[in-house]
Amino acid sequence: MTTASPTPRATAGRRTGRFALGVAIIAVPLLLALLGPVFAGEPGPRAVSFTLGGGHWLGTDFVGRDVWRQVLHGGRPVVLTALGAGVLAYLVALPVGLAAALTHRRWLEELLMRPLDVLIAVPSLLLILLVASVFTPGAVGLALLVALVNVPDAARLVRAAATEAAARPVVEALRLQGESWWRTAFGCVGRGILRTLGADAGTRLTGVLYLVATAAFLGVGVEPDAADWAVMVDRNRTGLFVQPWAVVVPALLIVALTTGTNLLFDAALERTAPRTPGARRGRKERRP
Amino acid sequence: MKRYDDEDGRSAGEPLAEIVDLRVEVGGRVIVDGVGLRALPGRVTALVGASGSGKTTTGLALLGEFPAGARVTGRVRVAAGGPVGYVPQHPAAVLNPARRVSALLMDIARAQVRDLPRPARRAAARERVLRALADAQLPDGETLLRRYPHQLSGGQQQRVVLAQALLLGARVVVADEPTTGQDALTKSRVVDQLAAVAARGFAVVLLSHDLDVVRALADEIHVMRAGRIVESGRAQRVWLAPRHEWTRELLRSRPSLPDTTEPDRPEDATEKGRPEDAEEQGRPKEGAEPDRPEDATEQGRPKAAAVPVLRVRNLIARHRDGSRRGAAVAVRASELALYAGQCLAVVGRSGSGKTTLARCLAGLHRDHDGEVLLDSAPLPRSLRDRRRDQLAAVQYVFQDARAAFDEHRPVLSQVARTAVRLRGADPGAAEAEALTTLARLGLPAELVRRRPARLSGGELQRAALARALLAQPRVLLCDEITSGLDTVTRRGILDVLTALLDGDDGLSLVLITHDLDTAAVAHRVAVLDDGQIVEQGPTHRILTAPRHPFTASLTAAAAPRGRATGPG
Repeated sequence: MTTASPTPRATAGRRTGRFALGVAIIAVPLLLALLGPVFAGEPGPRAVSFTLGGGHWLGTDFVGRDVWRQVLHGGRPVVLTALGAGVLAYLVALPVGLAAALTHRRWLEELLMRPLDVLIAVPSLLLILLVASVFTPGAVGLALLVALVNVPDAARLVRAAATEAAARPVVEALRLQGESWWRTAFGCVGRGILRTLGADAGTRLTGVLYLVATAAFLGVGVEPDAADWAVMVDRNRTGLFVQPWAVVVPALLIVALTTGTNLLFDAALERTAPRTPGARRGRKERRP
Repeated sequence: MKRYDDEDGRSAGEPLAEIVDLRVEVGGRVIVDGVGLRALPGRVTALVGASGSGKTTTGLALLGEFPAGARVTGRVRVAAGGPVGYVPQHPAAVLNPARRVSALLMDIARAQVRDLPRPARRAAARERVLRALADAQLPDGETLLRRYPHQLSGGQQQRVVLAQALLLGARVVVADEPTTGQDALTKSRVVDQLAAVAARGFAVVLLSHDLDVVRALADEIHVMRAGRIVESGRAQRVWLAPRHEWTRELLRSRPSLPDTTEPDRPEDATEKGRPEDAEEQGRPKEGAEPDRPEDATEQGRPKAAAVPVLRVRNLIARHRDGSRRGAAVAVRASELALYAGQCLAVVGRSGSGKTTLARCLAGLHRDHDGEVLLDSAPLPRSLRDRRRDQLAAVQYVFQDARAAFDEHRPVLSQVARTAVRLRGADPGAAEAEALTTLARLGLPAELVRRRPARLSGGELQRAALARALLAQPRVLLCDEITSGLDTVTRRGILDVLTALLDGDDGLSLVLITHDLDTAAVAHRVAVLDDGQIVEQGPTHRILTAPRHPFTASLTAAAAPRGRATGPG
């Protein structure tokens, strides 16, 4: 009587494979976004709109600019705004969520969380469009807006995950040790919910990217003729059937960015997943 | 509680389940080696051993369950191929909290009455459920069926799990540490139930490190150590004439209660010859000084100061439930005092408010009235308002040591933090001090540099003690720190505690426990029932001549087991 289970090597191989795939997919848009402007070179003379060939790799766009050069330039704003907004959202959400989870004062928890609940009720795109119609935000303004939209659910998630971690005796033990709030909150509770946060960050970054791209597509936070992947998709739509590359390439790059992010986080989480031998215990029905 | 004579009066019959020469190996480490056992109908087969000795692995092998990636050789045979029931240590974990007991049981029963005509199914299923409940010793099944798992006591949950197994037609039941963490009264009930289950012809395999329970129940005993069976045989034979060194050590490490049947013990004599203290009876009167210093001195412990280190006055602790006003009173303690160098045991059943009382003292439970005085200066209610020296003075050790450590950081650095935060030591010195303290408690340096997951429960509990001790506390509150540990480990922890008391730094202990054996270490005992201190006094008096009926029932539940087949 021998029980067989998948060998460790096979699982490790599968994990490495997924990791490599994630890296490969995300590397293309990231490298383009980071290094693109360096290799872009001087802008050439404008050509006819929506043409193919004629010295232009990917043809020309709606005002006759070289699409390849636009692609090289257009990644940086998307990636930077999305990353900035994502990081900013967590910078606010983490302390708020942890404070709400760790406090014993009910009023403080209400004070921290209720205003966010109001914010959560407003559809995010509506909020962005509303603010954009009153002010005209730049790239930084857009990042702030997207971050603001993401703070409520991130804070709620942090609070929910941290409440469970904060109820463990270890937090009381730390308080008995006279440990400082920051070390208890971030060193112990924050560390304990890292896996949940990682899973959330993977989907949230995708959502943020989507939001940034959508806002740019709608003309919020960017010039109408800016070199931006999302703007390119919007402006070059009219010539989709004449010169598809001006739409397809930036669109594919955005898709690669979101898919890659997700895959990468998935693989990273699986790699750190604790394998609990004790989890098998405690079932009641068995076959002999 | 012995049910069968050593000279086997009845035919044992065919074994219902059998393990032959089982060997389980995970990642090159042998967990169980050459283990064989037979579960006979109507018999209780006990596997005894310290935690980590391979009991559970062997028990689960009967169910066909093995650790992930295990290499298994040997043979496991279950008669008629029927399922084997398993009653886990924490039954709540296997019961769906969102469904009533009736639903949990009917789900299983319904599948078994498929072949009946539709109208008859419901009644037939119900009848099966009730029969299983009766078999599992839950006679008041009708009312129980309407409840949710969380509305049942731990013992009842255990029996519902058992009923599920019996419904499936299990003839063999594996009970995994069924009494761990239970108080003496509940324990004796569990023993009776398992005995009744066996009497109905089921084969019971008992995995336990609780020797009292094994003594009361087992017909056949296998003593395990490090994955091997070192001794097996008839219960009587193993108790009276243990052949293996390890069995002897196990038996020796079992602390014995002061025995009421032997009045000629010297301590008892002095105790009995003393006029009775009025204050010790029941709850102390208002304004009376209940804890006279003589009580302490008579324990052979000279007292310097008559002022108690820690004193509780008119404490009323509440548990806030959903409603704003209606908070349930959890503990009422009008007067309780702890002197320097003394050990006070707070004894009571689970749910009696012992832990709440200790948490009030530690500042972890803020919702209380009354005063907690440290050296006759009131302590702030909440931890947050306590000064560093007040924090350091009263330290608390948690029941679940594993949950009280951060799994991501090495044990040593967590222990050393106490000295850094509460005494302002610099990190290097704190670490050196932590290493010394840990070594004193029997934890070598290379062990404590690991993360908590690589330490055993007993080792972690020692580390938790060290963490509290680094604060150089005046009062150390120990909340059930030995429950859930096996006898040998428990003995070790208790030895550490007594050594701490004998040290000359005047440390006082409050020992929260449900276990009278553990309480016997203390100088004084306070008995808590339903949030009230019903009796307090010197340990020997309480354990040998309890005055309050509740104390009497506690000692009665614990004592007979010690005597039934006591050695010698």
